[in-house]
Amino acid sequence: MNKTAHKEKYISLAHGNGGRYMRELIDGLFARYLANPLLNTQNDSVLLTLEQKEIAFTTDGFTVNPLEFPGGTIGSLAIHGTVNDLAVAGAIPQYLSLNAFIEEGMSFEQLERIVKSMAEAASEAGVAIVTGDTKVVPRGEGAGVFFATSGIGIRNKDRLLNMEQIQSGDKILVSGTLGDHGTAVMLAREQFGLKGDLQSDAASVLPLTQAILEVEGLRFMRDPTRGGLASVCHEISRATKKEVHLFQVDIPIHEQVESVCEILGYDPLYLACEGRVVAIVSEQQAEEALSLWQAIDSGSNARIIGEIRGGEIRSDEIKDAQASVVLETELGGERFLEELEDDPLPRIC
Amino acid sequence: MAHVTNNSEQVTLEILVTGQVQGVGFRPFIYRIATQYQLKGWVKNCSGEVIIQVQGTASHLESFQQAILLQHPPLATPTIGSVSLLQKQKYQHKQLTDFFIEKSTRSKNAQRHIPADFFTCDDCLEEISNPKERRYRYPFINCTQCGPRYTIIKDLPYDRPNTSLSDFPLCRNCFHEYSEPLDRRFHAQPLACAECGPELSFYSVSSRKNETITHGNESSLSNAVDALKQGKILALKGIGGYHLMCDASNEQAIQRLRKRKQRPDKPLAILFSTAKQLRHYCIPAAGDSISPGSVSPEIKALTSPQRPIVLIRQKPDLLAAAINPGLNEIGVMLAYSPLHYLILKDFGLPVVATSGNLSGEPVLTDNKQAQTRLSRIADVFLQHNRPILRPADDSIIRIIKNKPRLFRIGRGFAPLEITLPFTLDKPTLAVGGQMKNTIALAWGDRLIISPHIGELDSKRSIEVFSQVIDDLCHLYRVKPEQIICDAHPDYYSSRYAVKYANKHQLPLTRIQHHKAHASIVWGEFDSTTSNKKPWLVFSWDGTGLGDDNTIWGGEGFYGHAGHWQRITSIKPFHLQGGDKAARQPWRSACALWWENNIDCSEYPSIFKFKSQSESEKMALAFQAWGKKINTIQCSSMGRLFDAASALLGLGSNSSFEGQGPLLLEAKASAAMTSEKMSSEASMNNIKATALPLKTEADMIIADWTGVLNTLLNSQVSIKQRALSFHQIIAETLIAQVKAVQLIKGDFNIGLSGGVFQNKVLTEYLFKRLEEEHLDVFLPEKVPYNDAGLSFGQIIEGASSYKKGTSNE
Repeated sequence: MNKTAHKEKYISLAHGNGGRYMRELIDGLFARYLANPLLNTQNDSVLLTLEQKEIAFTTDGFTVNPLEFPGGTIGSLAIHGTVNDLAVAGAIPQYLSLNAFIEEGMSFEQLERIVKSMAEAASEAGVAIVTGDTKVVPRGEGAGVFFATSGIGIRNKDRLLNMEQIQSGDKILVSGTLGDHGTAVMLAREQFGLKGDLQSDAASVLPLTQAILEVEGLRFMRDPTRGGLASVCHEISRATKKEVHLFQVDIPIHEQVESVCEILGYDPLYLACEGRVVAIVSEQQAEEALSLWQAIDSGSNARIIGEIRGGEIRSDEIKDAQASVVLETELGGERFLEELEDDPLPRIC
Repeated sequence: MAHVTNNSEQVTLEILVTGQVQGVGFRPFIYRIATQYQLKGWVKNCSGEVIIQVQGTASHLESFQQAILLQHPPLATPTIGSVSLLQKQKYQHKQLTDFFIEKSTRSKNAQRHIPADFFTCDDCLEEISNPKERRYRYPFINCTQCGPRYTIIKDLPYDRPNTSLSDFPLCRNCFHEYSEPLDRRFHAQPLACAECGPELSFYSVSSRKNETITHGNESSLSNAVDALKQGKILALKGIGGYHLMCDASNEQAIQRLRKRKQRPDKPLAILFSTAKQLRHYCIPAAGDSISPGSVSPEIKALTSPQRPIVLIRQKPDLLAAAINPGLNEIGVMLAYSPLHYLILKDFGLPVVATSGNLSGEPVLTDNKQAQTRLSRIADVFLQHNRPILRPADDSIIRIIKNKPRLFRIGRGFAPLEITLPFTLDKPTLAVGGQMKNTIALAWGDRLIISPHIGELDSKRSIEVFSQVIDDLCHLYRVKPEQIICDAHPDYYSSRYAVKYANKHQLPLTRIQHHKAHASIVWGEFDSTTSNKKPWLVFSWDGTGLGDDNTIWGGEGFYGHAGHWQRITSIKPFHLQGGDKAARQPWRSACALWWENNIDCSEYPSIFKFKSQSESEKMALAFQAWGKKINTIQCSSMGRLFDAASALLGLGSNSSFEGQGPLLLEAKASAAMTSEKMSSEASMNNIKATALPLKTEADMIIADWTGVLNTLLNSQVSIKQRALSFHQIIAETLIAQVKAVQLIKGDFNIGLSGGVFQNKVLTEYLFKRLEEEHLDVFLPEKVPYNDAGLSFGQIIEGASSYKKGTSNE
C-alpha cells in the first residue's frame, strides 16, 4: 500500500498554488500526521475554549541546518521550541499553529520524516496543532523548509515568574547537560565522521517545569536556546543588575561535548540546548527543587550550578563594559563570561 | 661657580626642585647641606615638588646648589626647576635665625612624583642584626633611604598621615628620630619599631577547620620557619603583595605547591638571602668583555635597589628539579624586605617565592582575602597589620646582550616614569592589551606606566585594572582628555576604553598591536640616536589583530611612529582552535603540515599523545581546519616557534604562555654550550641560510615551508635542530633587512615583541647584525613584550594625531 497520498517525489511550486497539489500536500501529509478534532483544514479560523485562567501566548520561527540531526528534526524542534517557551513561563501548552515555508525541490520523503517527528513531538507534549498554513518558495530561496509555530498555554494567574523576583542569594539550577544540541547539530552539519552517539537534547521541558512549579521559592525559568547558558545569565545579570556567579565544577557537561568543544575551540556554555531549563530558586528551596528534578528522567543530570550575588562591582565602567557573569574555577579563580561574540577572534599571545 | 665673590652680603633665593624628591630623604639632605653652608631658611614638600628658601652668601648659595645636584641621596633624581632672587621686603621669614623643615603644602600645578618601593639598605640590615639596637630583628625596619613607598602611599605629599602607617602613632623614641634633622630616620614616613609599629601574626587552619592566630614578631617568625622546614607551603605578606613560599630543595613540597596552584610546569622564582648564597647555586654571566673586571650584569641587576627577579643560569642538581622542568635558567631574587631577610636568615636555605595569587591574576594584598583565596594552596600564613594599598608584583629582568631588559614592571620600578620625546597637547590614557596588561598615563612630556596588572580575563584583574586607572589619575591629578586602546575590539581593555570614552565624552583612538610594539622602540630610542634615519622595526610576537582582520605576529614596519608601513611578514597559515591554539602548540605544527598537504597521520608519535582519543581529536581538528571552522589566518612568528617546539617533540600542549618556545630555546642553548665537544659542531659551522623571500603586494614575505624539513630531520639531534631553527629565523630577519635596504636605503633596526625575549635568538641577531655593520636597538627602559604596549600606544597615538589622522 502506498503510504502517502502524493505521487511526486519532490515539492514543486504547484504545491503552493492553492490548487489540487496544495490540497494533496496539506491533507495527505500535514493533516494526516497532525490530525486532531480541532484541526480542520477547510476552516480559516479555529475556535478554542480555554479554562478561566491566564493565557500564555508565544511564537517562534525555526531554521536549522541540517534539517535532520541525531535526536530530532526541524519538525520536532518547531514543536519543542514553542512548547518550551510556554512551559518555562509556567504554562501548560494547549494549542499550536503551524506555518510551513517549503522550498521547491524538497523531497517528499524527507518532508514526511520531518512532519512525522513533528507529530510525535506534539503528541508527547500533549499539544494539538489547530491551525496552519503552507507556502512554497522558489528553489534557492529557502533551505529545504522553514517553520513558524505559535502556541497558547494556560497558567495559574497567581504564579509570578519573572526576573524581578530574583534576589541575591538565590541559586541557579540547570536540568541537565549543556551544549548537547548545539554540538550534535554542528557535527551533523559539518559531517564530521565522529564515533559516539551524541544526541541533541531537543525535548519538551514540560515535565521539568511542572515538576518544580509548586516550589514556592521558584523565581524564574528559561530554556537556554541560542547563545546557551551564558546568554541566559547575561540577560539575568543585565535585568537584575546583580552578579550571576557560576561554579565551573558543578556545571554538567557531556564528556563528548567537552571533547568536541575542546578540539574545535568552542565553549559549551555558549551552545544551544533545546530541552533544558535554567531555574532560579530561593536558597532555602534550591535543594528541594533539585531533588524534584532529579527524580524524573529528563532531570537526572540536574545540578545547582551557581548563585545570584549582590552588586559587588565597584566601577561604572566595569558594570557597563559587560554584565557581570562570573565563572568560578575549581581553584577559586574568577573569570568573566563575556557576552557572545559573532565570531570570536583569538586574543592570547 | 662663576659668581664666587667675597661679598658677605646676604642673598635670599627661592629654589624649586622637581624630579624624584619625595620619599627619598631629600628634605633631611637639604637640611644637612644648608646647615653645612650656614644657610638660613626652610625647605618644604609642595605636592610632588620641593621648595627651598635659603638665605646666605652668594658663594655658599652657589655651593649649596651644586651640592643638591651632586651629593643628593642615591634614590633621588633632583632637577632644579627654577631659582629666583627674593627681594628683602618680599621675603616671608624676616627673622630667620635657623634652617628648618616646613610643613608640606599643596599646589595645584606641582609636578607630582610617586616613589617606588625600595630594598632594605645596608645600614638597616646592620641594625636589624645587632642585638644592642632597639630594632634588633624588627621586621618593619626602614629609613629615609629604604623601605616601602608606592604600595603604602594614599596620596601626596608623601607624609606619614598620607600613608598606610597613619594608624600607627609614633612612640617617644621614634618620634625623636623622626624630628631630629640629623638622624637618618628624620622624616622617614614609614618609620616604626616594635613598640609602636606594625606586628606579625601567624595564621593556620588545622585539619579540623580550627583557625589559630598567634600575634607577635618572634613567635610568628619561628612558626613560619618551622613550617618551611616541615615542607609546608607558606603564604607570606610582603611589600607589594603575597608570596607563596616553600623549601626550594624539597621536591615534594614544590610538587605539592604546583599541584595546588595548578601550575604544573611554569618556572618558580627562588629567593636567596644574599648574593653570596645565590652564587653557590647559580652561574652569573661574566661582566661586559669590553670593560674587564666589571661586575656581572646579572649580579648588578640583582643587587640594584629595585631587587627584581633576574633570570640566571643555575648550577645543576643543587635545587629541586621541579623548580624549572626542562629549562636551564631560573628566576632568582635577593631578600628585599627586612621580613624576607629574617625568614631566609633563620631558615638558612633558599626558598621558592612565587606570586600569591591564582594564575594570571594580580598578586593578593589583603589579609582576609588572601586567607580565603589562598586557602586551597597555602598551609599557613605569615601576615602583618601594615596595609598594602595597591599591588606591586615582583619585577622581572633578563640580561640580553649584557643589558637588563625589563619583562615585568613591578615592585621597585613601578610606577615607571619615562620622559616623552615630545609634548602632548592633551592628557592621554592608554589602556594596553589583554595579556600582561599595564596602563599608561601621559601628560605634557611625562609618561607613567603602571605596574603589571596581568591577564585581563579574571574578575580580580579587571577590578585591579580599573582601580589602577583611577588611582594613577588621582595620585598624579591628571584627568585624561583622550584615550587609546588596541585595535582588537574584544580585549577587555578595549571594551573598557569604549565605555570610558563614551562616559567622559572623550576621543578614542585604536592602535594596531604591532605598530604599538614598533613605537616602543621608536619612543625609547629615536630622540637619543644622533642619526635621523628612519626605522625598520620587527614586531614579532604570538597574536595581535592586524589591519586586515587576520592575526599578525611576524611583521616588520618601516618608517617612524605614526607612519609605519608594514613591509615584511611571513607566509600566512591557517590556525584552527581560536584562543586554544596559543596553549596547544600541536595546532600550530599541524597547521604547517596541513598548509603543505602533508599527510600527518603518522606524526601523533611526535606529539606524544597519551591516548588514541587524542589522535582522533587531531583528525577532527583537521576536518574543522578544512572547513575553516574556528580557523583564522595568521602570520605569527610566536606560533611558528610553537610549531617548531611541537615538531621537535618538546610538548604538544603548554601549561603556560610561551612554554614551547622556552623549551626550544633551552635546547638551542644546550647545543651552543656543548658545541665545541659535539661531533655536530662541524655542521653548525655551516652558516644557517635564511628562508626564501618573495615580494607580494609591496611586502617581503618569508616562506617557512623549508624549515619543516630541518625540524623533522631525525638524523640530527633535537638540540642541534633547535639551534638551527633559531639561526634560520635570525638569518631570515637579516635577509629581510637587506631586502628592505634595497628598496629604502639606510635605516636603524629595532626589535620588539615577545619573541625577542628569547636570548639565543636575540643575541645571535646582535652578533650577526654587528658583523653586517648594522645598528640594532632593543628597548632597555620599557618592556618590549605586551607590558610595554600601553607606552607604545601613547607614542603611536600621539604621533598619528600630529599627522592629523582622524580620531574615532
